[in-house]
Amino acid sequence: MGLTIVEKILARHAGRETVQAGEVVVAEVDYAMVTDTRAVNTIKLINSFGDQPLKFANKTSLVLDHYSPPPNQEAADIHSSMRAFATKRGTGLYDIGDGICHQVLPEGGHLTCGDLVVGTDTHSVTYGAFNAFGTGIEGTDVCAAMISSKLWFRVPETVRIDLQGVLTPGVWAKDITLALLGKFGAEGLNYHAIEYVGDAVAAMAIDDRMTLCNHAAELGAKAAILEPDEKTFAWLKAHGAKTPRPTFADADAKYSERYTIDVANLAPQLARKHEVDNIVGVDQIERQKIQFALIGTCTNGRLDDIRQAASILKGRKLASGVRMIVTPASRQIYLAALKEGLIEILTVAGASFESAGCGTCVGITNRLVPGDGDTVISTANRNFKGRLTNKNADIWLGSAATVAASALTGFITDPRMVEGGTWRSHS
Amino acid sequence: MSNQLVIQGSAFLLGDDVNTDLNCSNKYSPGQGVDDVAKHAFDQLSPGIASRIDSSGGGILVAGKHFGINSSREQATHVLHKMKVRAVVAQSFGRQFFRNAINNGLPVFECDTSTILEGQALALDLSSGTLHCDGNLIQKVPPLPAEILVILSMGGLLPFLKKYPDWNFV
Repeated sequence: MGLTIVEKILARHAGRETVQAGEVVVAEVDYAMVTDTRAVNTIKLINSFGDQPLKFANKTSLVLDHYSPPPNQEAADIHSSMRAFATKRGTGLYDIGDGICHQVLPEGGHLTCGDLVVGTDTHSVTYGAFNAFGTGIEGTDVCAAMISSKLWFRVPETVRIDLQGVLTPGVWAKDITLALLGKFGAEGLNYHAIEYVGDAVAAMAIDDRMTLCNHAAELGAKAAILEPDEKTFAWLKAHGAKTPRPTFADADAKYSERYTIDVANLAPQLARKHEVDNIVGVDQIERQKIQFALIGTCTNGRLDDIRQAASILKGRKLASGVRMIVTPASRQIYLAALKEGLIEILTVAGASFESAGCGTCVGITNRLVPGDGDTVISTANRNFKGRLTNKNADIWLGSAATVAASALTGFITDPRMVEGGTWRSHS
Repeated sequence: MSNQLVIQGSAFLLGDDVNTDLNCSNKYSPGQGVDDVAKHAFDQLSPGIASRIDSSGGGILVAGKHFGINSSREQATHVLHKMKVRAVVAQSFGRQFFRNAINNGLPVFECDTSTILEGQALALDLSSGTLHCDGNLIQKVPPLPAEILVILSMGGLLPFLKKYPDWNFV
């Protein structure tokens, strides 16, 4: 019996010929990541093993992204302890403004095809865009990986989702993932690995592939993974990743389910307040006013997202009464947007920029709080009541194109109705 | 190791889709310690459950589908230990909760729980995968793999690694 991509990666890292869904294996980890939300506990646990040199230190990064910049002294002190730990024990460190963990890990060349990567954040599934098995874990796991370079994993069942057809201009991976949340429901694929294949995936740029895998966290997936292609290899090479171990599913691999979904006629999708699976097509919405537009997060804070927004807002102004904040996912993206003139375009249009980090997603930095009665439209991955700290604000989720089009009109707007430029191409 | 893998206690029932971030951690009340959270854990779902478990000297939580769904905080397992929860039996578990439970030495047992009633005497044997209720065998499932049983019997992943840093426990 053949193996799925995730089964192959786990088998290889466990030193085995084969594995079966449901069994537990002990596998070598290639890279581990700790965010500032879990750092205190993780550092305490690692220190409980004493001061011995950590062989795994050069395969670990600490990322100061959730409290970036720190909103209070408590967060600032957590950051200080992370810097001290990284210096003393020799781990990598990404400081405030460097970016979100799921962006800086691939950008830093820390992972490649066929790798097994863990991080203290559910959206660690993003690494599947690079044909790596990425999954979210907790402090105890990171500690175990740093001490022993191994972890136990229950081999997940794999679901294969064939995305057929190519997205029409103005429709993005975000819209596919929202449509899938509508189909399966939040946590509808709990514990499963997802293999995404098909024409739509092949046509996607790397940024959009990262969105596709990232949002699988809301489906409850343990991993979401793509087959690699020339785009993958070129991106990894450009970012200094080590030699890839391209991993493909066997033709006779066993899947718990197979789905074929035609996305050629998909309209832009939205998650309405307050549930991520409360999905509706943008063409079904009638005059829904918005006050606050947000572009950013590990789901949609990448260069292609900022490009979409800029192409829609170029030479135009935000609607009266609308405010807009853009938070690039990383310093590299910030810089690229700066060089392309996108920051100028959006600033002239009336948007403001925040330093790279997770601030757009959760109310943690206290800099993006909506007012009572506000309707927020955001590219984030979650819209629970109170996610941005104010329970009296509604949060809707959509693509960067939908967010920018809505900021332009002041109402939730189908981006295909706005004349745009380069954002129309999916090549 | 067998003693830690045989667990007895009364059943304390919770329903489906219990989110342990919401009901068993300080995620939404930062600054609260494990002791504070333990006093009021699951109050929204079963008022007074923490004090009932406490006055029984401990017990076994019984839940439906997706216990610990959509929640990732390891702290939930510390709270459950503090509440004297000896094990959680559920029809299925949220992925991260399942990991955290094993890593922190909290036995978890996945089986059909629909016939179990509040207060019934449960006896769980993790090494054989059996569950007795009021003396009757009601479930037999494939036992967890040996690695996991050893980790659980030693109180969690880190105590295990302190003894077996290379995972060679055989």
